[in-house]
This record gives sequence, structure tokens and C-alpha cells, in this order.
Amino acid sequence: MNRMFLVAWREFQSVVFTRGFFFGIILTPVFIGIAIGAIALVSQLDGPKVAGRLAVVDQSGLLEAGVRQQFSPEAAKEAEAATAKQISQFADQIPGKTGEMVKKQAATAAKQVPKPADLSVEFPPPPHSAASLDSLKDQIRVAKITAAKDAVPSLVAMAVIPAEAVRRDANNAYQSYELFFAPKLDFEIQSRIRERLTRAVTDARLVNDERLTQAGISPEQVRSMVRVGEIKSVTLTPEGERKTMGPVQFLIPLAFMILLMISVMTSGQYLMTAVVEEKSSRVMELLLSAVSPLQLMTGKILGQMCVGILILVVYGGLGMAGLVVFALMDLIEPIKLVWMVCYFFIAFFTVASLMAAVGSAVNELREAQTLMSPIMMLIMLPWFLWMPIQRAPNATFATIMSFVPGINPFVMVIRLGGSEPIPTWQIPASIGVGILTSVFAVWAAAKIFRIGVLMYGKPPDFRTLVKWVRMA
Amino acid sequence: MTNAIDIQRVRKTFGSKVAVDTLDLAVAQGSLCGFIGPNGAGKTTTIRMIMSIIFPDQGRISVLGKPSALESKDRIGYLPEERGVYRKMKVLAFLTYMARLKGVDAGAAERKADEWLTRMALGDVRKKKCEELSKGMQQKAQFIAAVIHEPELLILDEVFSGLDPVNRRLMRDLIEEQHGLGRTIIFSTHAMYEAEQLCDQIFMIHQGQKVLDGRLSDILAQHDPHALLVEPMSSGAEAIVARLPGIEHVVDPNQKVGRGNGHPAALDVMLDGTIDESEAMAAIVRAVPVRRIERKRASLEDIFIGIVARSGGQVDADLLRASLSGSALGGGES
Repeated sequence: MNRMFLVAWREFQSVVFTRGFFFGIILTPVFIGIAIGAIALVSQLDGPKVAGRLAVVDQSGLLEAGVRQQFSPEAAKEAEAATAKQISQFADQIPGKTGEMVKKQAATAAKQVPKPADLSVEFPPPPHSAASLDSLKDQIRVAKITAAKDAVPSLVAMAVIPAEAVRRDANNAYQSYELFFAPKLDFEIQSRIRERLTRAVTDARLVNDERLTQAGISPEQVRSMVRVGEIKSVTLTPEGERKTMGPVQFLIPLAFMILLMISVMTSGQYLMTAVVEEKSSRVMELLLSAVSPLQLMTGKILGQMCVGILILVVYGGLGMAGLVVFALMDLIEPIKLVWMVCYFFIAFFTVASLMAAVGSAVNELREAQTLMSPIMMLIMLPWFLWMPIQRAPNATFATIMSFVPGINPFVMVIRLGGSEPIPTWQIPASIGVGILTSVFAVWAAAKIFRIGVLMYGKPPDFRTLVKWVRMA
Repeated sequence: MTNAIDIQRVRKTFGSKVAVDTLDLAVAQGSLCGFIGPNGAGKTTTIRMIMSIIFPDQGRISVLGKPSALESKDRIGYLPEERGVYRKMKVLAFLTYMARLKGVDAGAAERKADEWLTRMALGDVRKKKCEELSKGMQQKAQFIAAVIHEPELLILDEVFSGLDPVNRRLMRDLIEEQHGLGRTIIFSTHAMYEAEQLCDQIFMIHQGQKVLDGRLSDILAQHDPHALLVEPMSSGAEAIVARLPGIEHVVDPNQKVGRGNGHPAALDVMLDGTIDESEAMAAIVRAVPVRRIERKRASLEDIFIGIVARSGGQVDADLLRASLSGSALGGGES
């Protein structure tokens, strides 16, 4: 017993106390965290300020007031308020305290949205000859995009708005308008220009439509008619009702599965590599003079289990910390974490013992690939199954998959990660299947291991492995 | 005194191949025992069965009075033929780990490992990784791993292979020292020369069966070749000697193809059963002038080759002899 723990401790040390593990496993999530933080920080910065001129070639002669109003500081404030409202509407979809937090931040966030600051609007007087338009275009071609106040601002954009964009043409239809931009103009600014000009054009259409005037309908009335306010969406459950959750909820089952997979596969790979190394460096028989093959294998599996738990704790802990920070903890019921740990053990023992068996049977890592492919196929299956199971966690398909030995821990964590409650009997039943599977895997692996560790020469094929299991 | 190892009617097959066939073996406590046999004879299989790394299909093995080595693993030191080290582990840490696996407690394990490293002139490398050691150094470290827990029984499989003459000498001294401490030692080897020098007991297996077992002196006496070595003064003596009564045949090693230009070797004069050695010597001395004449002493190598050649039939005795003397001179594993 004591020796098994010695083996386990050495195994754990040999993996964890290395630079490779530290950088690969521990620092990766830290870097990811830093990167996300950095992106958040960068997006807090104001968008690029652009000093420049916008020429609006208004062939209708009806737009000047509207356009000037759209590009005025008051309009900018109004647009900001609208953005803030949009953000807070989106925040309503985010459950828990995060939603409230985002709501509070909405006004600040709206300020970050880039705006066509310091853009002066001018209206070239008619006639708008082709030659005069071309000369404006040539100015735009060589425009200098700059924020410098002292320099003479270049012409960075031009809109050519035909009269028919405001008043209906002979066919009783409206036409669109053209926009010309300088090559390096920030695309956010381009879209703001487009948005505001379009608003000015539609306003001008409403004001100048004689049908509305005759009917005594004000432009304001039309605007309110076409605006649908905030949409409140509610998910009804047997227990009551709650807000419909957005993409966060969709990602939790995937996160659960990835977490399980990373921890199980990483430690499983380490285990196989360690066994192969012990064999190829011929240290195996020296060890077997002190411990039995079963003790050795169990010790190694336990050691790698601790590695797997460490990975699970590091990554899972980071994920949980993230959820706590964004106050999303109510997305995960604590009992699900308990189940998750149960499924980790099942998946780990199943995969690890198979890995140990494969490692014991071959002489080099290279030879392990052929024997690994069935295991890898089994492990990859949940990736393909993720979508259908996540969409319909209680469908017959998902239920059946929950009892397929080998993949059932992965399927179950996907189902658990979702919000639909799983019939109560299925959890203990699938854990039961999982335990039987892992016990069988450990048993079979022990048999292969005992024979495999001392076999050198031609690596066995899958059939030979089955023979070994049935032999001893 | 009970036997350190008792093997009774043990049989082990791998598929259709019989590796060890109804083997009986007893190793007395405190003996230094050589275990010889050609490649593939079943030596390593037998040793692994003694160590309970693999299990016999039939028969009983008792080790240090227990029905299985599993119950007395801590009292056994084992240096397998297939031996290695953890490449990435530091030497001292590796030996401490091995000692702890053999039941030595944590504090003592490190202290002992340190003492042994100093003794084996490996003190400077204790903090180095095992992969940085030379092969000879690794062998020494492995030997330390086998003896660090002061076992009562020491099993060394092909312990001399791959060692240079200096380390070979060191290893022999270490084995003798362990023997002097009253420990039972079994070592398997191809190097008959080492076996002859070290062992008090020899057993040999061939094709899974025991063909020799006993005290070295008894075996040598039993296998008296009944032959003389004659170094004649002049050439042409071979034919004269061959015609003398009681002489079965004469082998002139000088006539063999490929022999070097060293001293001429003595003639091998095989006697038939009708004459004893002293009569034959007198007859030869009367017939031809000789520089040297002596009774041929049985060597373990000859006995080994005789047995293998007789049962195998196909075996080329000279080739076998060459491979044996090769390994005896430190030419490496054969």
C-alpha cells in the first residue's frame, strides 16, 4: 500500500515538477486570462479621432438642415443614449448580477463607441457637374487621415444624394445614394456616417411627403409606428419562469465537456508516456523487483489522477472564478459540480487504464499510435455528439448515448451543463454503468500490463491484447 | 540450514514454447552460486519466476522460506538483465526512490544512497541526471539499487556484461564482499571464467532443463576430460602419439585455420578407457621428446560446450567457444 503511494508520488512529481508542465498547463490559462484582460482594456480606449471634412452633394436641396442636425453635438449625445439603451436591453438577457452590472456600465460603454468626431460637414453648391464631382473624388483619393487640429483638414468622405432619394421618382419609388470614402478612414466612422446620412434622408422623406401632410400624419407618428420597443423573453419551466439565457448558457455544457476532456486526456497521455519510458529505458524490471505489476500500475494511475485533478482544479477553478466575477454562479447548481467530479473519476479510470495498457504493450511511443486510434476515436466521439446532445439533452439519442460505456461520462456532463433537468434515475444509472466500465477497464489493463511490461520486440496488435486479457 | 531458494518441478511455457521444464533446484543459504546456460536456455525466465515477476505453470518455488518472493521482496536484491534508470531523475533521487520502494525508511534511504555513491566513486554525479552517466556508471548505480536495502539474497542477471576490465574487477570484489557478509548470491553469466573464479556452486540449464548442479569442485572432478596436454619438441609427433595404445585420438589445435602466430599450442590427447593417465604419460614420453606434458584440467567452458554440443548436435562448438571467451575478456554481450 505504502509503495503504491511512493510510486504515485514519484509519478506526480515527475510530471508536475517540470518546466514543461508549469508552462504548458499552469501558465496557459494565466496567459489566456491576461489576453482577455488586455482585449477588454484595449476596447475601453476611445476609438480613433478623425479630423476631416465630409462633402454632402445634395441634389434635392432639402437635406442640409437635417444633415447638420444629425452631425451636431446634440445628436451625438442622443446616439450615445440610444447605444446605452441597446446595451442595457442586451444586459436584460444576461442572468444574475452580471446583467445589472452591465446595465450600470451601459452609459459608460456607450461613450466608448467611436463617433465621427471633429468631422465638419459642407454642402458644395450646385451645379453638381461631373467635373466638379471628379475633382472632389480626387481630393478624397489623396486625403490625409489625421487627428491634428492645426492642419487643414482633408476631405475624407463624400455623399452624392440624388433628388430621387428624398422625393419619389416617376415610378413612385425612392432611390438610394452613393458614398465615397478615403482609403484609410476608420470603418466605424464610415458606418456612423452612413447611419446618420440615412437617418437624415429618411427624415427628409417623411417631412416632404405630401401624402402624410395631407393625411395629417406627423413624421414623429410614423417613427413611433415603425419602432418595436424592448422585447422581453421568458423561459417557462415547471417550477416557474426565468429570463431566457443567452449564449453563456449555451457554452456551459461545452465548457464542462472540454474541461473533462482536457484533464482526462492530458493525464492519460502523461501516463502512457511514462509507462513507455519505463519500458524503453528498461527500468521496469528493476521496479518490478520491488513492487508487483498491479501495485506499479495502480500507483502510476493514482499519481496521474492527481495530475488530472490538479488540471481540473486549475482550469475549473479559473472558470468558476470567471463565473463568480461575472456573478453567473447561479447558472451552475452545486450538485452538478459533484456529478462532474464523479464523471471525472469514471472517465479518468477508464481512459487512464487503457492508456497504461497500451503503454505497457509497446516499446516506443511511435508504436503506440496504432493501438491508440480506437481509444482516440472513442474520445473524439463526444465532440461530434456535442451539438445534437446539447440541443436536445433529453431526447432518446442523448439518453442512449448516456449509457454507452466509454463515452457516457462525456455525454452526461454535456447534458448536465445544460439547463434542462435530467430525469433523476439517469444520473445514478449512468454512474453505475460508468463504474462498471472503469472497473472492467482497470481489470483488463492490469492483465495486459502484467504481460506487456516484460515483453519486448514486435508490438502486439489489438487482437493480441485481447488474447492477453483472456490468458492470465 | 534451510535453503535460500527451493524450486520443485517447475514448468513454464510461453505459448507452445517450453521455457523451463520440470526444474528442481536448491540454493543453500550463504552460497555463491553461478547460473550458467546458453542464450535462450531459460535463465532469465527462471530468475523472473524466482522473483515472482512471472509465475510458473506448474511446480513450487520457495524463496527465503516463503512460498513466494512477493512476501520477501524486501529481503531480495535483484539486478535484472534488462536494466535501466529513470533518465530524467537525479542519481541520488533515483537510488533513494529505489531504496524506499524496498522498504528502507525515508531518512535512511537517502543516507545510504549517499554512502554508496561515495563508495563507488560516484559522489560527484549524485545531483546529475541519470542520462548524463556513462554506461559503466549506470551499471554501478543499478548495482547500488540492488544492494542498498541490504538484502539476504542477491540475484544478479548478467552482471558482468558491458563492463570494462577495471569495473569487472570492482564488480567481482563487490560480489565477494557481499558473499563475505553471509549473503546468498546467484548470478547468471556467459563468462565462464568469472563463474569459475567466484562460485562455490554451479548450476546450468540448457533448453529449459537442468544439466549441471553441484559444487564447482565436484563438477570439475566429475567432468575429468580423461585427456593429456602434450607439447612436443619437434613436429611430426602427432602421428606417433596417435598410434600409441590406449590413445583414442589426437587433436592438433595448431592445424586449425585462422589460428594466430603465438606459441604453438599443446596437442590434445584423448585417452580411451583402457589406460590411466600416468601410464599414458609414460608411454608418450618414451615415444617422443616433449617439452611439456600434463593432465588436462576440466574447464567450465569445456563442460558447458560439451553439454551444449552433445544435446544440440548442430551447435558449432568453436563458435560457441569464441563467443564465450569473447565475453570473458570483456567483449560485451553475446
